[in-house]
Amino acid sequence: MVRILCVAEKPSIAKAVANHLGQARARDVAGLPWLKNYDLDYNFARSWGHCNVIFTSVAGHLVNLDFDQRYKSWSSCSPADLFDAPIRNFIEDSKKTIARNIETQARHAKVLFIWTDCDREGEHIGAEIRDVALKTNPRLEVKRARFSNIERAHVINAANNPITLDELQAQAVAARIELDLRIGAAFTRMQTLNLKPLIERQMGDKSIISYGSCQFPTLGFVVERYFRVKNFVPETFWSIRVMHKKDGVNVNFNWARVHLFDRMAVTIIFERCLAARLAKVTKMQKKPTSKWKPLPLTTVELQKMGSKYLRMDSQRVMKVAEDLYTKGWISYPRTETDQFDRGIDLRRIVQKQTTDRQWGQYAQMLMDGGFTQPRNGRNNDKAHPPIHPVNHVEAGSLNNDDERRVYEFVVRRFLACCSEDAKGETTTVEIEYGVEIFRTSGLLVLQRNYLDVYPYDKWESSQQLPHFVVGETFEPTEARMTEGKTSPPGYLTEPELIALMDANGIGTDATMAEHIAKIKEREYVMTRTRGSQAAGLDEGEGDIEDAPAARGGRGGRGGRGGRGRGRGSGARGRGSRAGGNGVQEFIPSTLGVALMEGYDKIGFDTSLSKPFLRKEMEIQMRAICAGTTNKHEVVQQNLEQYRDVFVRTLGRLNVLKTALRTYVLGQDG
Amino acid sequence: MAFNSLKLEISTHLASKGLKPTQAWLDSILPTLRPNTPLPALKQTALYRLLASDFTLTLQSSRSILPSDILDARIKERRIIGSVPVQVIDIEDIGRSRWSQVEALEAAERGETTKGREIIRVVPSEDSTDADTTNSSSAGPHKLLLQDAKGTEVYGLEIENIDKVDVNMNIGTKLLLKNVVVARGVLLLTPERVDILGGKIDLLHKTWKENRKEDLAPSGKEPTKLK
Repeated sequence: MVRILCVAEKPSIAKAVANHLGQARARDVAGLPWLKNYDLDYNFARSWGHCNVIFTSVAGHLVNLDFDQRYKSWSSCSPADLFDAPIRNFIEDSKKTIARNIETQARHAKVLFIWTDCDREGEHIGAEIRDVALKTNPRLEVKRARFSNIERAHVINAANNPITLDELQAQAVAARIELDLRIGAAFTRMQTLNLKPLIERQMGDKSIISYGSCQFPTLGFVVERYFRVKNFVPETFWSIRVMHKKDGVNVNFNWARVHLFDRMAVTIIFERCLAARLAKVTKMQKKPTSKWKPLPLTTVELQKMGSKYLRMDSQRVMKVAEDLYTKGWISYPRTETDQFDRGIDLRRIVQKQTTDRQWGQYAQMLMDGGFTQPRNGRNNDKAHPPIHPVNHVEAGSLNNDDERRVYEFVVRRFLACCSEDAKGETTTVEIEYGVEIFRTSGLLVLQRNYLDVYPYDKWESSQQLPHFVVGETFEPTEARMTEGKTSPPGYLTEPELIALMDANGIGTDATMAEHIAKIKEREYVMTRTRGSQAAGLDEGEGDIEDAPAARGGRGGRGGRGGRGRGRGSGARGRGSRAGGNGVQEFIPSTLGVALMEGYDKIGFDTSLSKPFLRKEMEIQMRAICAGTTNKHEVVQQNLEQYRDVFVRTLGRLNVLKTALRTYVLGQDG
Repeated sequence: MAFNSLKLEISTHLASKGLKPTQAWLDSILPTLRPNTPLPALKQTALYRLLASDFTLTLQSSRSILPSDILDARIKERRIIGSVPVQVIDIEDIGRSRWSQVEALEAAERGETTKGREIIRVVPSEDSTDADTTNSSSAGPHKLLLQDAKGTEVYGLEIENIDKVDVNMNIGTKLLLKNVVVARGVLLLTPERVDILGGKIDLLHKTWKENRKEDLAPSGKEPTKLK
């Protein structure tokens, strides 16, 4: 019988997939208690027929890239040499047993069938496995499985439709690994050797001042915001408020100009309003409005929502989501796609949720005719569908609270996607008072629809407005000139940081959480829970600065009233604020600030604190995948650029040192 | 064309725009005009030069000027009958905080608003407390410091949006006020009461631009990162 060697990226995937394919017998691998070879029979009807399958796994990357022995010691060479020092691939001692297992199993196999995760990293790991296996059996046929969840039917479909390994993606990762190694090591050594002696006492038990081409721009965002908060100077503004009592309702009208930063101007305008005595209704409009259901779930969105609503940082959310994926409850959690293929049977997925105690009824309602096709976002990575539940599991059967919360979120998000938008009606009343315009609006929610299953969005009816007629005049019950102050922006929160990284091409959706964790681990930033100081601002005097763009973001909804400025009238606007409580915010350490400031002063355009260089690298990775350039070219070109920065930094080390003295040691200049 | 008749043609043309330059200015401008140029072009040139001048030096200061008690804040409202030419010597956007304007200027200095060059993309703040730094045009309303031919300075408030009035306009731009309303010593500017004639005062404009960031920085604090 033909033997097929299957290799997954992690033991848990090997186990799950093997058990889906057949009666798998687990065999121990000598030397590694957690490594198993699963032995089973399977009929690959379309390709290799009835076969004996050995299903095993690696544990992430098998192969390590490092400098030649001669360059490993920090004293052996100048850090600049690392840009072109010889490097080699080798298998770490801890991975040798795994590699040997693959070599042994490959010897008698006809086919190597790779089951690593379907993304760039997975493709590269697949290539490593292939290289190891071919050493003992050069005649192996190499295939890979395309899958995005561990659900039985999906896995069997993947087993029956093998594809080829994507060499280009593997090459892109190889380029990234080499660049990270050379650039990371060169700058880390240079920084540590030159800067550490200066701040030895403040370093505590940290031994190095590390550099990473993603870490630094990530830190840069945190520091940039920190300075905006720190340098902020509050300013006084003045406004005019008009209140009119009608049919027992106090209606508050907001000034169309919101507020002005000039007391004299507001005083003059206010006096002219009062002189006019009567206000006249110029517009009375009722319009249907809707709150759009969310887009299908991407990794970035999952991470943002995780820190916002699930009280987990991005790294924790990803860890939990991966566990849920490995167990077959949700689809692959690393995806940029926010549109479902027409081919996916979404109803079948909804159907599986109908038995749930919490949202089962809602899912049933969708099955009974409530189902609507999800909205399509603009992103499709062509590898994985949006994150969605694969199978139903009762909360009690999950391991812990975090798993329950993430699973619940994924399911509710999915069901919300398959629901109708929420519907309502807004009423806008505009009055002219003197020559000034004032407005008020009210919202009446008519159908909650998706909101019933998606408590993470808030949309509630406001106070209902009394009836006004266009042309009607009245003397306002009260008109006041008010005063307020601008307040500083908050420190950067994790959802904001993720959004910035995403927008500026720092890391991939799969690695962003790691970079954030890294700058925490390096003590370049501290986190704290956003406290009460940012919350609790009421609509009144202690007002906030204009925030025009704030409502537009991804998945946001257009048509929120014409004026760019202004605080979303009435009921809208403040929702996200309330949700912000409990979110982590980042404050840079003195070392973090000093490094960013130092590099900025050395040269802005190519400063390591800025995302430009790294973004360029990321674009080139994509170009390798597309086949428009190759690994060698990308590596050389990027090394050149970073070498330039390196040389310039060496030439102006004093600038870095001065920044360190200023911020870390608290000395003047 | 005879010197005097040309002078008359030009001063009539300028008067039709509401501008009455001094005899001295007219006498100084005439010899510099090239005689063979067609008359309409000569008129244009004269107007252009007048608009590029400092009105306090070039316009007759006995007529078409603001009343001497223009700044009297006790007068709630009155109208200045007729037209008065003035020049803009300062402008402020009072619809945005000074801080947000400084941040916008700094972003522009760093090239982050330059087209065609890599920029750091900002994303909307989560809790919406951010000042708006992305919007570089000024929405206003604006407060302008205006000066008439006699040198009297008065604030004008852009009470209705006037096209071309924004913080990017030239300092020294000439306006013609027509039957403008004054409230508490402040001119209320609206499109139908203001004609924008154009022009610039180079030196004034240059100084204004150079000092702008400093002037904006609230309570004199320099918003740069390192001292």
